[in-house]
Amino acid sequence: MFAKDMVATFWMDVLFCAAVLTMIARSRAGKRIPAVNKVVGLDALDEAIGRATEMGRPVHYSPGIGDLQNAQTLASFSALTYVARKCAKFDTTIIVTNRIPSVYPITEEIVRQAYVQEGKLDRYSEDSVVFYSSEQFAYASACVGMMNRERPAANVLLGGFWAESLVIAEVGSQIGAIQIAGTANTHQIPFFVAACDYCLIGEEIYAASAYLSKDPVLMGNLVAQDWAKMTLTVIVLVGALIATVSPGANWLATLLNR
Amino acid sequence: MRREGPVIFAAIAGLAVIISGLFATDALKVVKDELDQWYLITTAFMVLVGLINLNLLHVRKISQKKEGWGYSIVLLAGMYFFIVFGLMRGSLGDAQYGWAYNATIVPMSATTFSLLMFYIGSASYRAFRARTAEATVLLLSAVVMMIGVVPIGRVIWSRLPDITSWILDYPNTAGIRGIQLGACIGGMATALRILVGIERGHLGGEG
Repeated sequence: MFAKDMVATFWMDVLFCAAVLTMIARSRAGKRIPAVNKVVGLDALDEAIGRATEMGRPVHYSPGIGDLQNAQTLASFSALTYVARKCAKFDTTIIVTNRIPSVYPITEEIVRQAYVQEGKLDRYSEDSVVFYSSEQFAYASACVGMMNRERPAANVLLGGFWAESLVIAEVGSQIGAIQIAGTANTHQIPFFVAACDYCLIGEEIYAASAYLSKDPVLMGNLVAQDWAKMTLTVIVLVGALIATVSPGANWLATLLNR
Repeated sequence: MRREGPVIFAAIAGLAVIISGLFATDALKVVKDELDQWYLITTAFMVLVGLINLNLLHVRKISQKKEGWGYSIVLLAGMYFFIVFGLMRGSLGDAQYGWAYNATIVPMSATTFSLLMFYIGSASYRAFRARTAEATVLLLSAVVMMIGVVPIGRVIWSRLPDITSWILDYPNTAGIRGIQLGACIGGMATALRILVGIERGHLGGEG
């Protein structure tokens, strides 16, 4: 019945879903939920947008180059919703650049809705959301060109990024933009750390929707996420201890690989 | 219903794909394959949307003679050249189409990619300035790594390559796995929020 090696995965998924749904139910019932850690990079979004507003320059937002099957892209939409609403509220120009054709209409709708929700649809420009190219480096080149021409004061890069990450981030640094970047692609994180003012590492980008909206239901989800992380850390520590004390014992690995 | 419909559909489709990964039954496999086909078809259609946007954007730029409008002409000419040429000759396997692609897009992509070398240099210069304790650790480990992987490193000290291997295999791998673990859980939590309909950013900016 179970697919090969999926028994342990199934039960861990069930436990995780139960924890998430429990926390959501607690939040909806108005019960107290534990606090979550501050995410400095997400707190800095207001600072970045404020700086762009004061300087009268645009905000550049990239949802990365991942497609809709990439959870990072989906997480980025929530941050874009927040950034677009703030830009609409303060009449700051936002430029959203896209590499994936299927992501483009969604980002366009998000930005348009942001202007609708702020009651400023007349200020919405169709040039705000652009599709450049589905070629990775053609997209990167187009972003670099746009950044040199428009000189955005804030550069927000949240989503799945690959080798183009440093090309875009370094140009952002050269033009003096305040930069907030985040990705779960581990090989690109050092580039963002080196080139950007604020960097969201790994799971922090998935926390964006809950953290920015401050919605208690979504915050409950974050708490469950932290619990799951702590549980897995304990499993890793137990595994390391077993491997150190008894190098031949592999019952934990066998159990988890079932 | 305008909002609920997509949420319900996403929940059903998402659960079907997850369950098909956990349980091995022919019926679930058929459902998953069918949903994969739908995704491919939808994605292919979206290319057309992107094409129309690109076209409108650059035609407007040319007609209004905005700064750099000449580049827009080059872009549109290149785009339509490949579309028409591809439709006439067939893009896959055609020698002339292949030559046109390999002689233009490939070297231009490689050129942009090669810029990374200079960007890595300038980004490293800023990152490795030992202003804080963390930056000093970063600088020291980077220096050990850089010297340890080149032949002169072994000449300076024979144990240096072993230290670089240790940094890569233990602290580096542990850090990467920790981040990946957190990212996987974050991805699962995001998927779950979408499946139960409490995160709707993908529907066009609704929470």
